[in-house]
Amino acid sequence: MTDETKGLVLAGVGGQGVILAGMIVADAMVRAGHDIKQSEVHGMAQRGGSVFSHIRWGPGVDSPLVPRASAEVLAAFEWAEAIRWVDYVREGGAVVVDLRTIVPPGACDDRRNWTTAYPGIDPELFLDRQLKTRLIDASSTASELGNIRAANSVILGTVAAFCGIDDSHWEAAIESLVPRGTEEINLAAFRAGREVADAQAPAATPSPEGFAGPHQIDINHSWCKDCDICSRVCPEYCLAIDNNGKLGIVDSDACTGCRLCELLCPDFAISIRPPMAEAVTTNG
Amino acid sequence: MTDIKTYLREWAMPHVLCPGCAHGIVLRSFLEAVDQLQLEQDKVAMVAGIGCSSRLAGYADFCTLHGTHGRAPAFATGLKLARPELDVVVVTGDGDGLAIGGNHLIHAARRNIDITVMLLNNSIYGMTGGQAAPTTPQGAVASTTPSGNTEASFDACALLQGAGASFVARVLAANPIEMTKVMADAITHPGFSFIEVVSDCPEYFGRYNKAGGGAEMLVSLTSRDVAVAGPLAAKRFVNHVPSSEPPPGMDTGVLQREVRPIFSGIRGGDTDES
Repeated sequence: MTDETKGLVLAGVGGQGVILAGMIVADAMVRAGHDIKQSEVHGMAQRGGSVFSHIRWGPGVDSPLVPRASAEVLAAFEWAEAIRWVDYVREGGAVVVDLRTIVPPGACDDRRNWTTAYPGIDPELFLDRQLKTRLIDASSTASELGNIRAANSVILGTVAAFCGIDDSHWEAAIESLVPRGTEEINLAAFRAGREVADAQAPAATPSPEGFAGPHQIDINHSWCKDCDICSRVCPEYCLAIDNNGKLGIVDSDACTGCRLCELLCPDFAISIRPPMAEAVTTNG
Repeated sequence: MTDIKTYLREWAMPHVLCPGCAHGIVLRSFLEAVDQLQLEQDKVAMVAGIGCSSRLAGYADFCTLHGTHGRAPAFATGLKLARPELDVVVVTGDGDGLAIGGNHLIHAARRNIDITVMLLNNSIYGMTGGQAAPTTPQGAVASTTPSGNTEASFDACALLQGAGASFVARVLAANPIEMTKVMADAITHPGFSFIEVVSDCPEYFGRYNKAGGGAEMLVSLTSRDVAVAGPLAAKRFVNHVPSSEPPPGMDTGVLQREVRPIFSGIRGGDTDES
Protein backbone atom coordinates (compact mmCIF):
# COMPACT_ATOMS: atom_id res chain seq x y z
CA MET A 1 0.00 0.00 0.00
CA THR A 2 1.42 3.35 -0.92
CA ASP A 3 0.84 6.30 1.37
CA GLU A 4 -1.07 8.10 -1.34
CA THR A 5 -3.70 5.40 -1.50
CA LYS A 6 -6.79 6.38 0.42
CA GLY A 7 -9.83 4.33 1.29
CA LEU A 8 -13.52 4.83 1.76
CA VAL A 9 -15.99 2.36 3.18
CA LEU A 10 -19.67 2.56 2.42
CA ALA A 11 -21.81 0.45 4.70
CA GLY A 12 -25.53 -0.02 4.75
CA VAL A 13 -28.37 -2.46 4.61
CA GLY A 14 -29.62 -4.36 1.59
CA GLY A 15 -31.87 -2.26 -0.58
CA GLN A 16 -30.55 1.11 0.54
CA GLY A 17 -28.54 1.72 -2.61
CA VAL A 18 -25.04 1.16 -1.22
CA ILE A 19 -23.87 -0.39 -4.47
CA LEU A 20 -25.03 2.52 -6.61
CA ALA A 21 -23.47 4.96 -4.16
CA GLY A 22 -20.22 3.03 -4.44
CA MET A 23 -20.36 3.26 -8.21
CA ILE A 24 -20.89 7.00 -8.00
CA VAL A 25 -17.88 7.42 -5.68
CA ALA A 26 -15.73 5.29 -7.98
CA ASP A 27 -16.88 7.21 -11.05
CA ALA A 28 -16.19 10.55 -9.41
CA MET A 29 -12.69 9.40 -8.46
CA VAL A 30 -11.97 8.27 -12.01
CA ARG A 31 -13.16 11.62 -13.29
CA ALA A 32 -10.74 13.27 -10.85
CA GLY A 33 -7.89 11.31 -12.43
CA HIS A 34 -7.33 8.72 -9.70
CA ASP A 35 -6.65 5.05 -10.14
CA ILE A 36 -9.37 3.24 -8.19
CA LYS A 37 -10.37 -0.23 -7.13
CA GLN A 38 -13.71 -1.14 -5.70
CA SER A 39 -14.94 -4.22 -3.93
CA GLU A 40 -18.32 -4.98 -2.48
CA VAL A 41 -20.37 -7.62 -0.71
CA HIS A 42 -24.02 -7.73 -1.59
CA GLY A 43 -25.04 -11.35 -1.06
CA MET A 44 -27.29 -10.58 1.89
CA ALA A 45 -29.04 -7.73 0.20
CA GLN A 46 -32.34 -9.44 -0.35
CA ARG A 47 -32.66 -10.35 3.31
CA GLY A 48 -31.88 -6.94 4.73
CA GLY A 49 -28.37 -7.91 5.62
CA SER A 50 -25.20 -5.91 5.73
CA VAL A 51 -23.99 -4.54 2.42
CA PHE A 52 -20.69 -2.77 2.06
CA SER A 53 -18.51 -1.32 -0.60
CA HIS A 54 -14.80 -0.64 -0.32
CA ILE A 55 -13.28 1.96 -2.59
CA ARG A 56 -9.59 2.78 -2.69
CA TRP A 57 -8.08 5.53 -4.76
CA GLY A 58 -4.71 7.06 -5.42
CA PRO A 59 -2.03 7.24 -8.09
CA GLY A 60 -1.80 3.45 -8.31
CA VAL A 61 -3.99 1.10 -6.31
CA ASP A 62 -3.02 -2.55 -5.94
CA SER A 63 -5.67 -4.05 -3.67
CA PRO A 64 -9.36 -3.25 -3.55
CA LEU A 65 -9.79 -3.95 0.16
CA VAL A 66 -9.47 -1.16 2.71
CA PRO A 67 -7.34 -2.38 5.64
CA ARG A 68 -8.63 -1.90 9.14
CA ALA A 69 -7.92 1.50 10.70
CA SER A 70 -6.91 3.08 7.42
CA ALA A 71 -10.05 4.43 5.76
CA GLU A 72 -10.23 8.13 5.21
CA VAL A 73 -14.01 8.14 5.43
CA LEU A 74 -16.71 5.77 6.57
CA ALA A 75 -20.13 6.47 5.13
CA ALA A 76 -22.70 4.51 7.13
CA PHE A 77 -26.19 4.52 5.74
CA GLU A 78 -27.56 3.14 8.99
CA TRP A 79 -26.66 3.56 12.67
CA ALA A 80 -25.71 -0.01 13.57
CA GLU A 81 -23.61 -0.32 10.42
CA ALA A 82 -21.62 2.71 11.55
CA ILE A 83 -20.73 0.89 14.76
CA ARG A 84 -19.93 -2.29 12.87
CA TRP A 85 -17.49 -0.56 10.52
CA VAL A 86 -16.01 2.25 12.57
CA ASP A 87 -12.84 0.27 13.25
CA TYR A 88 -11.94 0.68 9.59
CA VAL A 89 -11.52 4.43 9.93
CA ARG A 90 -8.04 5.70 10.64
CA GLU A 91 -7.41 7.94 13.61
CA GLY A 92 -8.44 11.43 12.64
CA GLY A 93 -10.56 10.17 9.76
CA ALA A 94 -14.18 11.04 9.11
CA VAL A 95 -17.39 9.20 9.90
CA VAL A 96 -20.58 10.18 8.15
CA VAL A 97 -23.58 8.53 9.76
CA ASP A 98 -27.19 8.58 8.68
CA LEU A 99 -29.30 8.56 11.83
CA ARG A 100 -31.70 6.08 10.28
CA THR A 101 -32.13 2.81 12.17
CA ILE A 102 -33.07 -0.51 10.59
CA VAL A 103 -33.41 -3.27 13.15
CA PRO A 104 -32.27 -6.54 11.60
CA PRO A 105 -34.34 -9.66 12.27
CA GLY A 106 -31.38 -11.26 14.03
CA ALA A 107 -31.30 -8.54 16.67
CA CYS A 108 -34.87 -9.24 17.74
CA ASP A 109 -34.83 -10.75 21.23
CA ASP A 110 -38.53 -11.22 21.70
CA ARG A 111 -40.90 -10.93 18.80
CA ARG A 112 -44.05 -10.61 20.92
CA ASN A 113 -43.23 -7.33 22.65
CA TRP A 114 -40.51 -6.33 20.13
CA THR A 115 -37.50 -6.02 22.44
CA THR A 116 -34.30 -5.90 20.49
CA ALA A 117 -30.55 -5.94 21.02
CA TYR A 118 -30.27 -3.01 18.65
CA PRO A 119 -27.82 -0.40 20.00
CA GLY A 120 -29.33 2.97 20.81
CA ILE A 121 -28.07 6.02 19.02
CA ASP A 122 -25.19 7.38 21.04
CA PRO A 123 -22.86 9.87 19.30
CA GLU A 124 -20.44 9.55 22.24
CA LEU A 125 -19.38 6.25 20.72
CA PHE A 126 -17.38 8.10 18.11
CA LEU A 127 -16.20 11.08 20.07
CA ASP A 128 -13.38 9.39 22.00
CA ARG A 129 -11.76 8.17 18.80
CA GLN A 130 -10.59 11.52 17.50
CA LEU A 131 -12.83 11.17 14.47
CA LYS A 132 -14.50 13.86 12.47
CA THR A 133 -18.09 12.79 12.96
CA ARG A 134 -21.02 14.08 10.93
CA LEU A 135 -24.47 12.90 12.00
CA ILE A 136 -27.10 13.55 9.36
CA ASP A 137 -30.75 12.78 8.84
CA ALA A 138 -30.53 12.08 5.15
CA SER A 139 -34.05 10.64 4.81
CA SER A 140 -35.72 13.77 6.17
CA THR A 141 -33.55 16.03 4.07
CA ALA A 142 -34.36 14.02 0.95
CA SER A 143 -38.08 13.99 1.81
CA GLU A 144 -38.07 17.76 2.15
CA LEU A 145 -36.51 17.98 -1.29
CA GLY A 146 -39.31 15.81 -2.67
CA ASN A 147 -38.04 12.22 -2.85
CA ILE A 148 -36.85 10.15 0.07
CA ARG A 149 -34.92 7.95 -2.36
CA ALA A 150 -32.41 10.73 -2.90
CA ALA A 151 -31.17 10.20 0.67
CA ASN A 152 -27.96 8.57 -0.51
CA SER A 153 -27.03 11.66 -2.46
CA VAL A 154 -27.31 13.66 0.75
CA ILE A 155 -24.86 11.24 2.38
CA LEU A 156 -22.52 11.45 -0.60
CA GLY A 157 -22.63 15.22 -0.36
CA THR A 158 -21.36 15.02 3.21
CA VAL A 159 -18.78 12.40 2.28
CA ALA A 160 -17.52 14.61 -0.55
CA ALA A 161 -16.23 17.10 1.99
CA PHE A 162 -13.58 14.59 3.11
CA CYS A 163 -12.47 13.07 -0.18
CA GLY A 164 -10.41 15.92 -1.51
CA ILE A 165 -11.69 16.02 -5.08
CA ASP A 166 -13.58 18.78 -6.77
CA ASP A 167 -17.38 18.85 -6.41
CA SER A 168 -17.79 19.04 -10.20
CA HIS A 169 -16.54 15.45 -10.47
CA TRP A 170 -19.14 14.30 -7.96
CA GLU A 171 -21.95 16.10 -9.73
CA ALA A 172 -20.92 14.69 -13.09
CA ALA A 173 -20.82 11.18 -11.63
CA ILE A 174 -24.24 11.55 -10.02
CA GLU A 175 -25.75 12.92 -13.20
CA SER A 176 -24.50 10.01 -15.26
CA LEU A 177 -25.41 7.19 -12.87
CA VAL A 178 -28.69 7.96 -11.09
CA PRO A 179 -31.93 6.81 -12.76
CA ARG A 180 -33.10 9.00 -15.61
CA GLY A 181 -35.32 11.84 -14.51
CA THR A 182 -33.95 12.05 -10.97
CA GLU A 183 -30.77 13.95 -11.77
CA GLU A 184 -32.07 17.30 -10.53
CA ILE A 185 -33.27 16.09 -7.15
CA ASN A 186 -30.15 14.02 -6.59
CA LEU A 187 -27.94 17.00 -7.34
CA ALA A 188 -30.00 19.13 -4.97
CA ALA A 189 -29.66 16.41 -2.34
CA PHE A 190 -25.91 16.26 -2.89
CA ARG A 191 -25.57 19.99 -2.33
CA ALA A 192 -27.73 19.78 0.79
CA GLY A 193 -25.44 17.08 2.15
CA ARG A 194 -22.41 19.18 1.30
CA GLU A 195 -23.80 22.00 3.42
CA VAL A 196 -24.34 19.65 6.35
CA ALA A 197 -20.66 18.73 6.27
CA ASP A 198 -19.62 22.35 6.52
CA ALA A 199 -22.29 23.31 9.04
CA GLN A 200 -21.27 20.56 11.45
CA ALA A 201 -17.55 21.19 11.07
CA PRO A 202 -16.38 22.17 14.53
CA ALA A 203 -14.94 25.64 14.87
CA ALA A 204 -11.20 25.25 14.90
CA THR A 205 -10.41 23.55 18.18
CA PRO A 206 -8.55 23.88 20.75
CA SER A 207 -11.19 23.53 23.38
CA PRO A 208 -11.75 26.36 25.88
CA GLU A 209 -8.92 25.11 28.09
CA GLY A 210 -6.54 25.18 25.15
CA PHE A 211 -6.02 21.46 25.41
CA ALA A 212 -6.83 19.75 22.15
CA GLY A 213 -6.15 16.23 23.38
CA PRO A 214 -3.07 14.16 24.04
CA HIS A 215 -0.08 14.53 21.76
CA GLN A 216 1.47 11.61 19.97
CA ILE A 217 4.84 10.47 21.35
CA ASP A 218 7.02 8.73 18.76
CA ILE A 219 10.13 6.94 20.00
CA ASN A 220 12.75 5.82 17.50
CA HIS A 221 14.11 2.85 19.42
CA SER A 222 16.95 2.27 16.97
CA TRP A 223 18.44 5.64 17.93
CA CYS A 224 17.42 5.66 21.60
CA LYS A 225 20.19 4.83 24.06
CA ASP A 226 17.86 4.49 27.07
CA CYS A 227 19.72 7.27 28.89
CA ASP A 228 16.67 8.14 31.03
CA ILE A 229 16.80 11.90 30.43
CA CYS A 230 13.35 12.13 28.84
CA SER A 231 11.63 10.10 31.53
CA ARG A 232 13.26 12.18 34.25
CA VAL A 233 12.27 15.53 32.78
CA CYS A 234 8.71 14.67 31.71
CA PRO A 235 6.44 16.71 34.01
CA GLU A 236 3.53 14.36 33.33
CA TYR A 237 5.37 11.06 33.90
CA CYS A 238 4.46 9.81 30.41
CA LEU A 239 7.72 7.94 29.89
CA ALA A 240 9.63 5.40 31.96
CA ILE A 241 12.52 2.99 31.75
CA ASP A 242 11.19 -0.54 32.23
CA ASN A 243 12.75 -3.42 34.16
CA ASN A 244 14.84 -4.38 31.14
CA GLY A 245 16.31 -0.90 30.98
CA LYS A 246 14.33 0.02 27.86
CA LEU A 247 12.42 3.24 27.39
CA GLY A 248 8.67 2.96 27.00
CA ILE A 249 5.54 5.09 27.05
CA VAL A 250 3.54 4.48 30.20
CA ASP A 251 0.85 7.14 29.89
CA SER A 252 0.44 8.56 26.40
CA ASP A 253 -2.86 10.26 27.29
CA ALA A 254 -1.19 12.56 29.80
CA CYS A 255 1.15 14.18 27.27
CA THR A 256 0.55 17.94 27.01
CA GLY A 257 3.04 18.45 24.20
CA CYS A 258 5.56 20.51 26.18
CA ARG A 259 8.34 18.87 24.08
CA LEU A 260 10.86 18.84 26.95
CA CYS A 261 11.66 15.21 26.15
CA GLU A 262 12.07 15.97 22.46
CA LEU A 263 14.31 19.00 23.03
CA LEU A 264 16.41 17.27 25.68
CA CYS A 265 16.84 13.97 23.84
CA PRO A 266 20.52 13.85 22.85
CA ASP A 267 19.82 11.14 20.29
CA PHE A 268 16.99 12.70 18.24
CA ALA A 269 14.96 9.64 19.19
CA ILE A 270 11.72 11.29 20.34
CA SER A 271 9.32 13.39 18.38
CA ILE A 272 6.04 14.83 19.59
CA ARG A 273 3.21 15.28 17.14
CA PRO A 274 0.33 17.55 18.06
CA PRO A 275 -3.13 16.00 18.16
CA MET A 276 -4.83 15.76 14.76
CA ALA A 277 -1.71 16.99 13.00
CA GLU A 278 -2.10 14.19 10.50
CA ALA A 279 -5.70 15.04 9.80
CA VAL A 280 -4.84 18.64 9.11
CA THR A 281 -2.18 17.75 6.57
CA THR A 282 -4.08 15.08 4.69
CA ASN A 283 -7.49 16.65 4.58
CA GLY A 284 -6.65 19.71 2.51
CA MET B 1 8.74 24.47 11.24
CA THR B 2 10.76 22.00 9.25
CA ASP B 3 11.33 18.52 10.57
CA ILE B 4 14.66 18.86 12.36
CA LYS B 5 15.88 15.60 10.86
CA THR B 6 16.13 17.42 7.52
CA TYR B 7 19.36 18.90 8.85
CA LEU B 8 20.67 15.57 10.06
CA ARG B 9 22.72 12.98 8.19
CA GLU B 10 20.29 10.24 9.08
CA TRP B 11 22.44 7.54 7.54
CA ALA B 12 25.12 8.31 10.13
CA MET B 13 22.76 8.02 13.08
CA PRO B 14 22.67 6.89 15.83
CA HIS B 15 25.71 8.94 16.78
CA VAL B 16 28.74 7.64 18.70
CA LEU B 17 28.17 9.71 21.84
CA CYS B 18 27.57 7.89 25.11
CA PRO B 19 24.07 7.47 26.57
CA GLY B 20 23.09 10.62 28.44
CA CYS B 21 25.79 12.81 26.88
CA ALA B 22 24.32 16.27 26.46
CA HIS B 23 26.30 17.03 23.30
CA GLY B 24 23.41 15.66 21.24
CA ILE B 25 21.06 18.20 22.83
CA VAL B 26 23.48 20.95 21.78
CA LEU B 27 23.46 19.66 18.21
CA ARG B 28 19.68 19.65 18.18
CA SER B 29 19.49 23.19 19.50
CA PHE B 30 21.96 24.33 16.86
CA LEU B 31 19.89 22.71 14.12
CA GLU B 32 16.79 24.43 15.54
CA ALA B 33 18.63 27.75 15.39
CA VAL B 34 19.58 27.16 11.74
CA ASP B 35 15.97 26.26 11.06
CA GLN B 36 14.71 29.42 12.76
CA LEU B 37 17.07 31.56 10.68
CA GLN B 38 16.01 29.69 7.53
CA LEU B 39 19.62 29.28 6.42
CA GLU B 40 20.29 27.19 3.34
CA GLN B 41 22.03 23.97 4.22
CA ASP B 42 24.89 24.47 1.79
CA LYS B 43 25.43 28.03 2.97
CA VAL B 44 26.31 26.84 6.46
CA ALA B 45 29.80 25.49 7.13
CA MET B 46 30.47 23.56 10.30
CA VAL B 47 34.15 23.28 11.17
CA ALA B 48 35.40 20.95 13.86
CA GLY B 49 38.65 19.69 15.33
CA ILE B 50 39.09 16.59 17.43
CA GLY B 51 37.09 15.42 20.41
CA CYS B 52 33.61 14.27 21.37
CA SER B 53 32.12 17.68 20.66
CA SER B 54 33.85 17.86 17.30
CA ARG B 55 32.11 14.68 16.24
CA LEU B 56 28.88 16.65 16.00
CA ALA B 57 29.90 18.15 12.68
CA GLY B 58 29.77 14.66 11.19
CA TYR B 59 26.05 14.36 11.86
CA ALA B 60 24.90 17.74 10.64
CA ASP B 61 23.95 17.88 6.97
CA PHE B 62 25.77 21.13 6.13
CA CYS B 63 29.12 21.78 4.54
CA THR B 64 31.35 20.25 7.18
CA LEU B 65 35.09 20.24 7.73
CA HIS B 66 36.81 17.96 10.17
CA GLY B 67 40.23 19.43 10.84
CA THR B 68 43.17 18.78 13.10
CA HIS B 69 43.17 18.93 16.85
CA GLY B 70 42.60 22.44 18.15
CA ARG B 71 42.97 24.08 14.74
CA ALA B 72 39.29 24.44 13.89
CA PRO B 73 39.34 28.26 14.34
CA ALA B 74 42.31 28.43 11.96
CA PHE B 75 40.51 26.35 9.33
CA ALA B 76 37.41 28.46 9.86
CA THR B 77 39.38 31.67 9.44
CA GLY B 78 40.70 30.50 6.09
CA LEU B 79 37.29 29.27 5.02
CA LYS B 80 35.56 32.52 5.93
CA LEU B 81 38.17 34.58 4.07
CA ALA B 82 37.83 32.44 0.95
CA ARG B 83 34.04 32.08 1.07
CA PRO B 84 32.69 35.09 2.98
CA GLU B 85 29.12 34.26 1.98
CA LEU B 86 29.10 31.17 4.21
CA ASP B 87 27.95 31.18 7.81
CA VAL B 88 30.95 29.50 9.40
CA VAL B 89 30.38 27.79 12.73
CA VAL B 90 33.13 26.11 14.71
CA VAL B 91 32.14 23.37 17.10
CA THR B 92 34.85 22.61 19.57
CA GLY B 93 35.37 21.30 23.05
CA ASP B 94 37.12 22.52 26.15
CA GLY B 95 40.22 20.42 25.47
CA ASP B 96 40.23 21.14 21.74
CA GLY B 97 39.53 24.84 22.09
CA LEU B 98 41.18 25.83 25.37
CA ALA B 99 44.15 23.47 25.67
CA ILE B 100 45.77 22.49 22.39
CA GLY B 101 43.86 25.08 20.38
CA GLY B 102 43.87 27.90 22.91
CA ASN B 103 46.04 30.10 20.75
CA HIS B 104 43.95 29.73 17.64
CA LEU B 105 40.82 30.52 19.56
CA ILE B 106 42.00 33.70 21.25
CA HIS B 107 43.59 35.03 18.07
CA ALA B 108 40.45 34.46 16.05
CA ALA B 109 38.64 36.42 18.76
CA ARG B 110 41.26 39.18 18.72
CA ARG B 111 40.94 39.57 14.93
CA ASN B 112 37.14 39.66 15.20
CA ILE B 113 36.64 37.48 12.17
CA ASP B 114 32.95 36.86 11.45
CA ILE B 115 32.66 33.26 12.63
CA THR B 116 30.73 31.62 15.44
CA VAL B 117 32.48 29.33 17.90
CA MET B 118 30.47 26.94 20.06
CA LEU B 119 32.66 25.53 22.78
CA LEU B 120 31.10 22.52 24.45
CA ASN B 121 32.49 22.42 27.95
CA ASN B 122 32.17 19.04 29.62
CA SER B 123 34.95 19.71 32.16
CA ILE B 124 37.03 16.72 31.14
CA TYR B 125 38.73 15.01 28.19
CA GLY B 126 35.96 12.59 27.28
CA MET B 127 37.20 10.92 24.13
CA THR B 128 40.66 9.98 25.39
CA GLY B 129 39.69 8.51 28.73
CA GLY B 130 38.70 11.13 31.25
CA GLN B 131 41.93 13.06 31.83
CA ALA B 132 41.81 16.42 33.59
CA ALA B 133 41.23 19.35 31.22
CA PRO B 134 41.86 23.08 31.66
CA THR B 135 38.23 23.35 32.68
CA THR B 136 38.17 20.58 35.27
CA PRO B 137 37.10 22.27 38.53
CA GLN B 138 39.52 22.29 41.43
CA GLY B 139 39.03 19.19 43.54
CA ALA B 140 37.30 17.20 40.82
CA VAL B 141 38.45 13.65 40.17
CA ALA B 142 39.71 12.71 36.70
CA SER B 143 41.79 9.76 35.55
CA THR B 144 44.94 11.86 35.82
CA THR B 145 43.89 13.50 39.09
CA PRO B 146 42.71 10.56 41.20
CA SER B 147 42.90 12.55 44.44
CA GLY B 148 41.25 15.61 43.00
CA ASN B 149 42.45 18.31 40.64
CA THR B 150 44.84 20.77 42.29
CA GLU B 151 44.95 23.27 39.42
CA ALA B 152 42.69 26.22 38.91
CA SER B 153 40.41 26.06 35.90
CA PHE B 154 39.69 28.39 33.00
CA ASP B 155 36.63 30.56 32.84
CA ALA B 156 36.20 30.33 29.07
CA CYS B 157 33.86 33.30 28.77
CA ALA B 158 36.14 35.59 30.77
CA LEU B 159 39.08 34.44 28.67
CA LEU B 160 37.30 35.23 25.40
CA GLN B 161 36.01 38.56 26.69
CA GLY B 162 39.60 39.41 27.52
CA ALA B 163 40.72 38.28 24.08
CA GLY B 164 38.28 40.69 22.48
CA ALA B 165 35.44 38.53 21.22
CA SER B 166 32.61 40.85 20.23
CA PHE B 167 29.84 38.42 21.26
CA VAL B 168 30.26 36.20 24.30
CA ALA B 169 27.52 34.05 25.78
CA ARG B 170 27.18 31.11 28.11
CA VAL B 171 24.29 28.68 27.88
CA LEU B 172 23.45 25.42 29.57
CA ALA B 173 22.78 22.24 27.66
CA ALA B 174 19.85 21.78 30.05
CA ASN B 175 18.08 24.84 28.62
CA PRO B 176 17.58 23.99 24.95
CA ILE B 177 15.18 26.82 24.17
CA GLU B 178 17.50 29.54 25.47
CA MET B 179 20.40 27.75 23.80
CA THR B 180 18.66 27.91 20.41
CA LYS B 181 17.90 31.60 20.86
CA VAL B 182 21.46 32.51 21.82
CA MET B 183 22.88 30.42 18.95
CA ALA B 184 20.65 32.23 16.46
CA ASP B 185 21.83 35.56 17.92
CA ALA B 186 25.45 34.46 17.67
CA ILE B 187 25.17 33.32 14.05
CA THR B 188 23.61 36.63 12.99
CA HIS B 189 26.03 38.73 15.06
CA PRO B 190 28.57 40.51 12.81
CA GLY B 191 31.97 39.58 14.15
CA PHE B 192 33.47 36.86 16.29
CA SER B 193 30.82 35.14 18.39
CA PHE B 194 31.69 32.80 21.19
CA ILE B 195 29.25 30.56 23.04
CA GLU B 196 30.34 28.43 25.92
CA VAL B 197 27.81 25.62 26.12
CA VAL B 198 28.03 24.01 29.53
CA SER B 199 27.56 20.36 28.67
CA ASP B 200 28.37 17.25 30.66
CA CYS B 201 30.21 13.95 30.53
CA PRO B 202 28.29 11.34 32.49
CA GLU B 203 30.61 8.56 31.39
CA TYR B 204 33.82 10.01 32.87
CA PHE B 205 33.19 13.15 34.88
CA GLY B 206 29.88 11.90 36.22
CA ARG B 207 31.20 8.47 37.06
CA TYR B 208 34.46 9.62 38.69
CA ASN B 209 32.78 12.36 40.68
CA LYS B 210 29.62 10.44 41.57
CA ALA B 211 27.54 13.12 39.89
CA GLY B 212 25.05 10.60 38.50
CA GLY B 213 24.06 9.84 34.92
CA GLY B 214 23.03 12.14 32.13
CA ALA B 215 19.68 13.04 33.64
CA GLU B 216 21.10 13.92 37.07
CA MET B 217 23.93 15.95 35.57
CA LEU B 218 21.54 17.96 33.39
CA VAL B 219 19.36 18.70 36.37
CA SER B 220 22.29 19.82 38.49
CA LEU B 221 23.44 22.07 35.64
CA THR B 222 20.18 23.94 35.91
CA SER B 223 20.69 24.39 39.61
CA ARG B 224 24.06 26.06 38.95
CA ASP B 225 22.56 28.74 36.72
CA VAL B 226 22.45 31.89 38.83
CA ALA B 227 19.55 33.36 36.87
CA VAL B 228 17.22 30.40 36.92
CA ALA B 229 18.16 28.36 39.97
CA GLY B 230 16.21 30.54 42.36
CA PRO B 231 12.94 30.79 40.43
CA LEU B 232 13.08 27.13 39.45
CA ALA B 233 13.96 25.77 42.85
CA ALA B 234 10.32 25.18 43.71
CA LYS B 235 9.68 23.16 40.55
CA ARG B 236 9.93 19.43 40.31
CA PHE B 237 12.50 19.67 37.55
CA VAL B 238 15.25 20.51 40.03
CA ASN B 239 14.05 18.49 42.98
CA HIS B 240 16.50 15.71 42.28
CA VAL B 241 19.53 17.88 42.94
CA PRO B 242 21.75 16.07 45.41
CA SER B 243 21.99 18.04 48.62
CA SER B 244 25.78 17.78 48.79
CA GLU B 245 27.90 20.88 48.40
CA PRO B 246 26.72 22.66 45.26
CA PRO B 247 29.30 23.71 42.67
CA PRO B 248 29.75 27.45 42.17
CA GLY B 249 27.04 29.25 40.27
CA MET B 250 27.42 30.52 36.73
CA ASP B 251 26.15 33.56 34.91
CA THR B 252 24.38 32.57 31.74
CA GLY B 253 23.00 34.37 28.74
CA VAL B 254 24.72 36.93 26.54
CA LEU B 255 27.60 38.36 28.55
CA GLN B 256 29.10 40.68 25.96
CA ARG B 257 27.80 42.12 22.72
CA GLU B 258 29.46 44.91 20.78
CA VAL B 259 29.90 45.75 17.12
CA ARG B 260 33.39 46.59 15.99
CA PRO B 261 35.29 46.29 12.69
CA ILE B 262 35.40 42.81 11.21
CA PHE B 263 38.59 41.23 9.96
CA SER B 264 38.25 40.39 6.30
CA GLY B 265 41.87 39.79 5.36
CA ILE B 266 43.54 41.14 2.28
CA ARG B 267 40.41 40.93 0.15
CA GLY B 268 38.64 43.96 1.50
CA GLY B 269 41.36 45.75 3.43
CA ASP B 270 41.93 45.48 7.14
CA THR B 271 38.58 46.79 8.21
CA ASP B 272 35.52 46.05 6.18
CA GLU B 273 32.17 46.75 7.73
CA SER B 274 30.27 44.41 5.41
